[in-house]
Amino acid sequence: MTAALVIENLHKTYVRKAWLGKRVEKPVLRGIDLTLEEGKVLGLVGESGCGKSTLCKVILGIEPITSGTVQVAGVNINGLSTAKWRDLRRKMQVVYQDPYASLDPRFTVRQLVSEPLDIHKLYMDKSARENYLRELLNSVQLDVAFLDRYPHEFSGGQRQRIAIARALALEPQILIADEPVSALDVSVQAQILNLLKDIAQKRQLSMLFVTHDFAVARFLCDDIAVMHQGKIVEYAPAEELFAQPRQAYTQKLLSAVPTVPRGAL
Amino acid sequence: MTQAALTVQDLHLSFLTDEGALPVLRGLSYTLSPGKILAVVGESGSGKTVHALSILNLLPPNARVDQGKILYQGKNLLSMKSSALRRVRGRKIAMIFQDPQASLNPVLTVGEQLIETLRAHKRISKKTARKQAAELLTKVGIEEAEKRLEEYPFQFSGGMCQRVMIAMALALSPDVLIADEPTTALDVTIQAQILRLIKELQQQSGMAAIFITHNLAVAAQVADEVLVLYAGQCMEQAPASRLFSHPLHPYTQGLLGSLASVERKEERLPAITGNPPRPGEILTGCPFAPRCSHALKKCFETCPPLYEKDGCKVRCFLQEGK
Repeated sequence: MTAALVIENLHKTYVRKAWLGKRVEKPVLRGIDLTLEEGKVLGLVGESGCGKSTLCKVILGIEPITSGTVQVAGVNINGLSTAKWRDLRRKMQVVYQDPYASLDPRFTVRQLVSEPLDIHKLYMDKSARENYLRELLNSVQLDVAFLDRYPHEFSGGQRQRIAIARALALEPQILIADEPVSALDVSVQAQILNLLKDIAQKRQLSMLFVTHDFAVARFLCDDIAVMHQGKIVEYAPAEELFAQPRQAYTQKLLSAVPTVPRGAL
Repeated sequence: MTQAALTVQDLHLSFLTDEGALPVLRGLSYTLSPGKILAVVGESGSGKTVHALSILNLLPPNARVDQGKILYQGKNLLSMKSSALRRVRGRKIAMIFQDPQASLNPVLTVGEQLIETLRAHKRISKKTARKQAAELLTKVGIEEAEKRLEEYPFQFSGGMCQRVMIAMALALSPDVLIADEPTTALDVTIQAQILRLIKELQQQSGMAAIFITHNLAVAAQVADEVLVLYAGQCMEQAPASRLFSHPLHPYTQGLLGSLASVERKEERLPAITGNPPRPGEILTGCPFAPRCSHALKKCFETCPPLYEKDGCKVRCFLQEGK
């Protein structure tokens, strides 16, 4: 089996120049080894400050690597040229946490979803583009009549669907999802989780799903990596991890998760 | 029957905006029993925070109370003079907020802030106040209290800051504690500690508490009674054990059903369709009707009243005559 994403001994240290030019180093990722198998959903679970968002940024090339290697679809991303990154972004896309912040308020839905297609010169024929946009909106269960509206006209759940449509526009193989439901209303989270599960299955996506919520991870993920202070402390198939968490830290996290007593449900 | 710790009667509240008055609360009523924790559960925009702010009249200037009363010891807090209300705030009814780091003053030490709270309401010397402040910090589980009084909020972690906020709220032994999403900004392990702490201190002191949250699981951990708020109206109110085992309102049922479980793997989540109404949206009929799978024709025409039975209240026509 090939891997969509291979991370080996990855370190990331933020460096800040303090007073009098003193260097202050803050290691955030401290030797990450992680593999995302093709067609699988890998859950990355950890508390705030453990480095899970930094890991996403490094994978996406937003933050440079301090040391170690990251291979995306077989390509080593360290020192990659802009043109090579552009090619790679056709294969890897991202959905962020807060759809109120991640969509440009001055763009219509059509512009938002078309932008990646314009950059990569895809579906440049007018009617083919129109058909494709409709198809995309359908795949995230949005009404095609929404194409010419602006983000502020939509609720949080609808905005996250738009963000997902934008991420899917280039038909990527890999999706990085950084807490995609934690900013949404409780009654809407389940809709988006179901949608992500369907899409991952239908499109054979490999997905890195970052979350702080074990319940969400159990629903969606095939494998789970638990992160703590910049390291992966446990990595196991999801059901194995929930049946028998091996590390004390995982056990502590799991026992702290509040649950609803489910009597009649 | 013992006197209620706090009574909210038919509270209507709206925000004045450029588009006119947007109703946020539409007739909220409940009674908080002494020594009990009432969890108010709702999604964003349901009015849960606004209702909490209205109790101590901390509303933003564009909010207007249209109707209703909030009674504390027989007096209406909404019509109280600000000087009188100041004696209630903090001393009788205290509040803790969502983001502890933002609620503390960054340029004063934790000790100074605690002492200020104590000395604003009690006639005590600085030395006594200092001693009491240290005791309070110890009580909320902060070690080396004497030393930490000298520190600034930025030297405390989020969980520790929330402990300081709790200490400050409990400083004057209030009758009622209002906690507005006190653990939302915290990690799960810290959340579990803080919930335990609040519950413990509440039981020791016998105060009543209103616990506002969007998280049903959190409500299940602490509450004696749960009120489910949707679009500014109470949809269901029941003792916690009853609400979680036998939810009656389709909205409560849907919410509980749609939660992913950490205890088992589900193939699909039974999601509620659609989106919650925007604050101020004009609604005729039941606010949940457009998303409800049991909705009848009349649900879209008239809003059902709250049906009461065995100490449970449900706003749903399906409960009519039951």
